[in-house]
Amino acid sequence: MAAPQSQNALVRWIDRRLPVFTFINHELNEYPTPKNLSYWWNFGSLAGIMLVIMMATGIFLAMEYTPNVNLAFDSVERIMRDVNWGWLIRYIHMNGASFFFIVVYIHIFRGLYYGSYKEPRELLWILGVIILLCMMATAFMGYVLPWGQMSYWGATVITNLFGAIPVVGNDIVTWLWGGFAVDNPTLNRFYALHYLMPFVILGVVGLHIMALHTNGSNNPLGIDRKGPQDSIPFHPYYTIKDSFGLGVFLIIFCIFVFYFPNALGDPQNYIRANPLQTPPEIVPEWYFLPFYAMLRSVPDILFIKAKLAGVLTMFGSIFLLFILPWLDTSPVRSARFRPVYKWWFWLLVIDVFALGAVGAHRPEGWWIVIGRFGTLYYYIHFLIVFPLLGIFERPLPLPTSISAAVTKGGGKLAGASAPMEKP
Amino acid sequence: MADTAQPGPMAAHGHEGGTRRDFLSIAATAVAGVGAACAVWPLISSMNPARDTLAAGAPIDVDISKIQPGQQIIVLWRSRPIYIVNRTKAMQDIIKADKDAGSLRDPNSNANQQPPYAKNIFRSVKPEFLVLVGICTHLGCLPEFTPQAGGSLGPSWQGGYFCPCHGSKYDLSGRVFQNVPAPYNLPVPPYHFISDTQIRVGENPSDSTFDFNSIEQI
Amino acid sequence: MRRLAPTLIKGALIGAGLLLAPIVAQAQEETPLPRTSWSFDGPFGTYDRAAVQRGFQVYQSVCSNCHSLNLVTYDDLGPNGPGGGIGYSEDQVKGIAAEKEVTDGPNDQGEMFQRPARPSDHFVPPFPNDQANRAAHNGALPPDLSLIVKERAAGLGALPWSASGADYVYDILTGFKNPPPNEKLPDNSYYNEYFPGHHIAMPPPLADDTVSYSDGTKATTAQEAHDVVTFLTWAAEPTMEDRKRNGAKVLIFLVVLTGLLYAAKRKIWAGVH
Repeated sequence: MAAPQSQNALVRWIDRRLPVFTFINHELNEYPTPKNLSYWWNFGSLAGIMLVIMMATGIFLAMEYTPNVNLAFDSVERIMRDVNWGWLIRYIHMNGASFFFIVVYIHIFRGLYYGSYKEPRELLWILGVIILLCMMATAFMGYVLPWGQMSYWGATVITNLFGAIPVVGNDIVTWLWGGFAVDNPTLNRFYALHYLMPFVILGVVGLHIMALHTNGSNNPLGIDRKGPQDSIPFHPYYTIKDSFGLGVFLIIFCIFVFYFPNALGDPQNYIRANPLQTPPEIVPEWYFLPFYAMLRSVPDILFIKAKLAGVLTMFGSIFLLFILPWLDTSPVRSARFRPVYKWWFWLLVIDVFALGAVGAHRPEGWWIVIGRFGTLYYYIHFLIVFPLLGIFERPLPLPTSISAAVTKGGGKLAGASAPMEKP
Repeated sequence: MADTAQPGPMAAHGHEGGTRRDFLSIAATAVAGVGAACAVWPLISSMNPARDTLAAGAPIDVDISKIQPGQQIIVLWRSRPIYIVNRTKAMQDIIKADKDAGSLRDPNSNANQQPPYAKNIFRSVKPEFLVLVGICTHLGCLPEFTPQAGGSLGPSWQGGYFCPCHGSKYDLSGRVFQNVPAPYNLPVPPYHFISDTQIRVGENPSDSTFDFNSIEQI
Repeated sequence: MRRLAPTLIKGALIGAGLLLAPIVAQAQEETPLPRTSWSFDGPFGTYDRAAVQRGFQVYQSVCSNCHSLNLVTYDDLGPNGPGGGIGYSEDQVKGIAAEKEVTDGPNDQGEMFQRPARPSDHFVPPFPNDQANRAAHNGALPPDLSLIVKERAAGLGALPWSASGADYVYDILTGFKNPPPNEKLPDNSYYNEYFPGHHIAMPPPLADDTVSYSDGTKATTAQEAHDVVTFLTWAAEPTMEDRKRNGAKVLIFLVVLTGLLYAAKRKIWAGVH
C-alpha cells in the first residue's frame, strides 16, 4: 500500500531520499495486527523498552566505572555515593536486568502456550532463542563487573565449567581467563564484551522484528488472519495498549527500584571480591537458577563425568529450544484448543519454578531428588510429550475466523501485572 | 476497519475525531513526554562533576612560611599548578619601578584575569607573595620561573617567567609582554591569608564574590 | 478448566516462595533473628539525625579502633555529603577530620609524612593494611563497616517480615551471652546468640556507658547498639532518603500517567470491542 502523500514538504523531501516516513507509516499505521491480541502480547514491546533502558543506564554507568580489580568495587560505590543520581542509575540498571529477564521469560512462555513458534514463525522463534542466549551472556558478564564476592566466585565457577570439555577444555578456560584464574585480564575483557553484546542483541532484535512483520503476529486463537475484518492497524490500537502496559510495568519496576532495590540481589556482592575466601553459598542471580539446578543435578552417567554431564544438560536445555518448532507435531497452535497440552504446559511452568528453588539451595537431601526429577521432566516435556501429544491429542474445534470468534476481544487485564514475584 | 490515519509516529490522532479521545490522547502524550524528560534528566546530570570531584576542588591551605625569599613553590588546586613566590625586596622594587610597562600588553591588568583584590601592580593581596595559576595563556604549558636578571633572555630581562613551548614572557607579577604569543596575563586564583603563614587558595576573602570561572583565559 | 490453571499457578508460586524463603540463610543453626523497628524502616523511613550522630560517636570511640570505614569521607558527614550528610556543619567536619592523621607525600625530599586529615579524605583506617589488622587480632580480620548492613541483609527470598541487615548487626551487638554450660569456646572466641555457629572472634564491644553521649541520652548497651546501627545503615546507603522521596514522586506520576493511558486505551478500543 502506498503511503499517503504528506502535506509537509520537508517530510516529502526526506522520504524521497530515505523513505523513513513511508517505513514508519507502513509499520505503524498500515501493518495489520490481529484484533484479538491479549495483554500477554505486551511483553515483546516491554522487552524492547527494557533493552533501551539497560543501554541508556549502562552507557552512563560506563562513564564512571573502572574495570580494574583494584578499583572496580570502589568505582561502583563512588557511583552510588558521589555521582549525581548515580544511585538511581545503578539501581535501575541492576533491577533492570532482573525485570528484563522477567519480561522475556513471560514472553517465551506466551510463545510456548500459543504455539507462536510454529510454522511460519520458526525463524522468529530461533532468533528469539539467540537473543536469550546473548542476554544470558551479557548478564553473566555484567554481574562480574562490580567485583563483589559473588561476581568473582560466580565467574570462577562458570568459567571453570568449560574445563569439562574433553581435550581442549583447560586451554579454553585459560584462554577465557587470560591468566591462571579469574583476574584483571578477565574483568577487563568482560567489560569490553558486556559493552558490545547489547548492540549485538539490538541487531538480532531488529531481525526478530523483521521476521515478525513478515507474517504478522500470532494471536490467542492461534489461527491465521483471513482478511481485513480480522485485523486492526497497529497504531493507534496497540501503541496505546502497549503504552498502558508499559505504565503498569513501570509502576511495578519502580516499586522495586525505589523501595526494594536489593531484594532480588545477593547481599554478598556488597563484599569486595576475595580470592582467598569462598563464600558459604555460591548462587547465581535468580534468572539463572533453573539452569544452575540442572547443572548440579546430573550425576556421573556411564563414562561421562558429572561435571561434563551437567554442562551438557544445561546447554542442552537451551539447545532444545532451538529445535522446538520441529519437536511439536501438533497442527494446532494455541493451547486454548489443546486441552491436554494445557496441563503439560502448566506442569512445565511449575517445573521451572521448582528447578529455580533447587538452584537456590545447597544440593543436599530432598533438593537433589527434586532437582533430578525436575531436570528429567524438562527433557521429557520437550523430547517426549511434545512429539507424542501432536499425534495422540484430539484438539478442540477451531473457530472459523478471528472476527467470528471475537466477542470480548480476548484480553485479560490482569495479564500485564501478572507474576512479578518470580523468585 | 483498518483505516489509515495520518503518518507520523505516536501522533495519537483519532480517525473519527472524538474530542474526548483526542484530549485524552494528547494529555497522555504530554504527561508521558514530561515523564520522559524527567527520566532523562538524571542521566544528563550524572555527567556533572560528582561530589568527590567537587570536594577535591575545595580550597587548599598552603603553609608559606617555609618558602625562602626569592623562591617559588608549586601546589595543585583543581588539578592546576598554582605558583606561589616569596618576592624579595629587590623584586618588589623592580615591580614598583615598572620600567617595562611600555613593553607589556596589559600593564594595568584591565583584562579580567585576576580578582579585584589583586588588581594592582603587584597583582597580589600582599606585595611579598605572588600567587598565580601557572598555565601559559597561549596554549597551556607551564611557564618557567626565571627570577635571575639578564642571562639568556638578554640584558634587559629583569626577572619573571619564560614559557619554553613558544617563548611567551611574563614579568615578576605575571603580566605578559608584547610580541609574544600569549594574549593575557597569567591568571590569579581566588585566595586570601588566613594567617601570616597560611594562604587559602581557592577561596575569596569574605568581602569578595569573585567568580574564578569568569576569567578570560585559564 | 480455565479457572483451574490460574489456581495451579498461584499454588506453584506460593510453594516456590515458601521454598525459597530461607535461602542464603545466615546460620547452620538458625536462631531466629529478633527484629527492631528503625527510623529508616518503610517507604517513608528517614535517618534520625540525632541517632546517626550518636552512632557516629559510638563508631569513633569504640568501633574505629579495629574496624575501618573506607568508603565514607569526612565530608560525607557535612552539608556537602550524599543525602545532605548527618547534620554536622562544615567547621565541625573539619574538626572531626583534623583529629586523625594520614600519611601523605612524597615531599620534595622524597619522604612520606604525616598530616592532619582533610574533609575530603576517607575515614582513616585503624591499621595501614589488612595484614597489620590481622596481626593485632590473632589472625582474625575485623571487616570494614562501610557496607556491613547491606552485606548482612537476608537476600533473595527475604519476606517483608524477615530480619534486615540492620536487625542482624543489632542482634550481634546485643547478643553476647555466657555460653551454655559444658560448651567449650575455642581460643579467642566469644559466645554470641545470633552469630552463625555462636562463636564470634569479636569481644563484646558495647556495655552500658561505654560512650557518654554529647546530647545527654542515656547510653545503655541497647541504645548504643541502636545508634551505631543507625549510623552504619546511613554509612551503607546515605542516599536512601533521596531514593524514597523520589520514589514517591515517581510512583504518583506513574499512577496518574497510567490512569490517563488506560482511559485513552478504553476510548480508542471502544469501537473494536
